[in-house]
Order: sequence, then C-alpha cells, then structure tokens
Amino acid sequence: MKKISIDPITRLEGHGKIEIFLNDEGDVANAYLQIPELRGFEKFCEGRPVEEMPRIVPRICGV
Amino acid sequence: MAKPKLALYWAASCGGCDVAVLDTNEKILDIANIADIVFWPIALDFKYHHVEAMEDGSIDLCLFNGAIRSSEQERIAKLLRAKSKVMVAFGACACFGGIPALGNFTNRDDIFQRVYIDIPSNANADGVFPRTLTEVNEGELELPELFDTVSTLAQVVDVEYFVPGCPPPVDIILKVVDLFATGQLPPVGAIIASDKTLCDECERTKEEKKITKIYRPHEIIPDPDRCLLEQGIICCGPATRGGCGLTCIKANMPCRGCFGPPPGVVDQGAALVSAIASIYQGDTDEDVTRMLEEIVDPAGTFYRFGLADSLLKRKRIQKAEKG
Amino acid sequence: MKKMLTQLGIEEERVRLDWVSASEGDRFAKIVNEMTEELRQLGPFSGNNGGDNG
Repeated sequence: MKKISIDPITRLEGHGKIEIFLNDEGDVANAYLQIPELRGFEKFCEGRPVEEMPRIVPRICGV
Repeated sequence: MAKPKLALYWAASCGGCDVAVLDTNEKILDIANIADIVFWPIALDFKYHHVEAMEDGSIDLCLFNGAIRSSEQERIAKLLRAKSKVMVAFGACACFGGIPALGNFTNRDDIFQRVYIDIPSNANADGVFPRTLTEVNEGELELPELFDTVSTLAQVVDVEYFVPGCPPPVDIILKVVDLFATGQLPPVGAIIASDKTLCDECERTKEEKKITKIYRPHEIIPDPDRCLLEQGIICCGPATRGGCGLTCIKANMPCRGCFGPPPGVVDQGAALVSAIASIYQGDTDEDVTRMLEEIVDPAGTFYRFGLADSLLKRKRIQKAEKG
Repeated sequence: MKKMLTQLGIEEERVRLDWVSASEGDRFAKIVNEMTEELRQLGPFSGNNGGDNG
C-alpha cells in the first residue's frame, strides 16, 4: 500500500507525524496521527516541592 | 548575494524558545529580511525530507532548542549538525537539559508505568505502551525510541555557541542575531550571556550572609529589597550565570538557575550546596538535622535546569538483571 | 550533600565527613579502615545498571 508521510506536522506547538495509507484506487484507506515525544512530567514532578509546581509545569508548553 | 540560511528546531522542548524568538515582535521582520529561514516547524511548513535534501553545511546558522531524549531528537540533531555551519544550543534545555532533564531522576519504564497505567486520567485497559514498531492492517507504523536518559545538545553533537535561559531573554536573542548578521561572532564555545553570577547583577541590598533558618518560598513574604538568601530563601543566584535581567528576582521569587553555571563552575548543583552550606550558621547536630529538613528537595532545586549537564548526569538506574 | 546524593541514587555510606588532625594518625587509620570495610560491603559503584543512553 502506498504511504504518504507528513513529518513533522508544523505550525503548531508539539511534535507529530501523520501516516496516510492509500489503497489501489488512490483513495485514503486509513490515516494515523502519531506523537513521537514524551518528556514524563507526570513522573518527574513526583518528589518536587508543591510550591515549585507553578515554576515547573509551565514548561510543558511555552506557548 | 544570497541571504544566509537560518534553521530553528525543537527537540524535547515546550516551544517557549520559539515563542521567545517571536517575542522579538516587529524585529522578527528584520530577522526574516536578513536571513532565509529554511526550517522552523512552529512557523513554517518545511519537512524533514527538505532538510535531508540540503547540502551539508548549507545552513549558516541553526538555533536548536530542547533536550535530547529520543532517537528522533538525536537523529535530527545530527542531521542539522551535518547541514549547518554553526550550531547554537538555544535555551536552557539544549544547553543544560532544562526542565525535561528532571526526567533523569527517573527512567523510561517508570515514566511509561506512570503515564500509561497508573495515572488516573488515562483509560488504558489493555495496558498499551508506545512501541517503536506497530503493525496495523495497512502496514507498519514507527515511533522513535525514548531513552532512559536526557542529554544536552553538546553531549550529542558539536556545538559552537550556547544561549542560556528559560527562555532566553529577547535582548540576548537580538544580540545573537546581530552578532551573526555583522559577522562578529565570539570565539567558539562562548556562552552568550554575562560572565558574572546573578548575584553580581542583583540590585537587592546584601548585608551579611548568615542564616539560621531556611524558608520555603511560600512560607514568608520576602522583603522585595533585601537579598532573598539572607532572608532564608534558597536562591540559586550564587552559582548561576547572570544576564537574564533578574526576571524572577523582580517578581520577588528566588532564582532557580536557568542560565546555568557561571564561568569556572563545572557542576552547578555542587556549587550551590557549597554556597548554601557556607552561609548556614549551625553548631550542633540538631542545627544540622533541622537544616536538612528545611531543604526539602536539594537535588531537584540545585539541579533544576542542569541535571543532564551535571557530573553525575542522572540518578543511578538499578534495573533487575535481564536474561 | 548526602541528602542530595541519596536523591541521585547514591548510598549515603559512600560519602563521609570527618575531621582529623595531623597528630591523630591512629584515628585516621581507623576511619579509613572502617570506611573501606563499609565500601567493601556495598560493592563497587556501578553508574548505570541497564539504563541506555546514559
């Protein structure tokens, strides 16, 4: 099956890629959005002082 | 004469450094006039294959923000390095690891377990984790490999210049553009900020550095004119490079070190331990015990932005023997 | 320092602070022997056991 990759997706915040599979007729059989990043805030904030959260979690998204 | 080519990229990043470039407001038009931006995912629709097709060294300046913690981030760092004459580690993450480097207190397995299984906000009955290769009906899907350890940009590729800050302040960004446009770039390896510590730049009154109690920032309302450290609030100023314009201090909050260590300091966290210990007045064992209880998260505070750049780099991983 | 090192996964027994004067040769030897024995029990320091890209 023919595959079209859009990598990276642009003009937004974050990382992503889109894989589009075409069938023999050239129509879209399926499309997948994948997020190729993970930083782990949910885990590494554990053990940090609660009053520091407003200084750490804004770095999830700078926009 | 062709305009110089500029590329900007983000690895393990929040987008704040890219927004900081946009924060130059109308001066962004000057940047666009001076240079041809050939790759900048937040703003322009160029793809990886466009970069792959470029000749080696054809990009004149690459501003690379974000830390390295996946195989894709490593690949693009190396790709952009090959295609660029000058590579700049832009922002605290690329320079020192930044906030994502707090991931070095943990590892991939524990992160996956928390994010995909334990966390209350996720419904994942099948217990699916991201995989590098996934078979679907139509074919195969790939994802990069996530590493246990976060690295700085310079730990992965050669870097000519470092622009610290979370994010770098607008005046430093404009200075970088100006130095580049006028061909006045400093010697390779330079960190484009002040050569002194934050304390040097700080306008608060400093009297005597002797404290007998440490307060967490929310426990008191600090006097906005006096040195925070002297009031018992841990401030990373003594071992942080200056040049940020004192953004946090002016908000009556202590520095957390996003400009990295000052010249001559190899390990920012160790320098901070030394600085705090040297001003704390305590004679008895009780004093020491009390002080330890008052400093609630030393590693996470002293290495807030620089864990990946520290001598130890990460918390020791002790995985069960495999196989 | 010990608290920070513990956060980074380093056993606190691997760091010790003591004051010994030049005239306390016996005490110095005793402390070094004690620490050496403790370290022997702990085993060699392995930086990263099984972690990748570290």
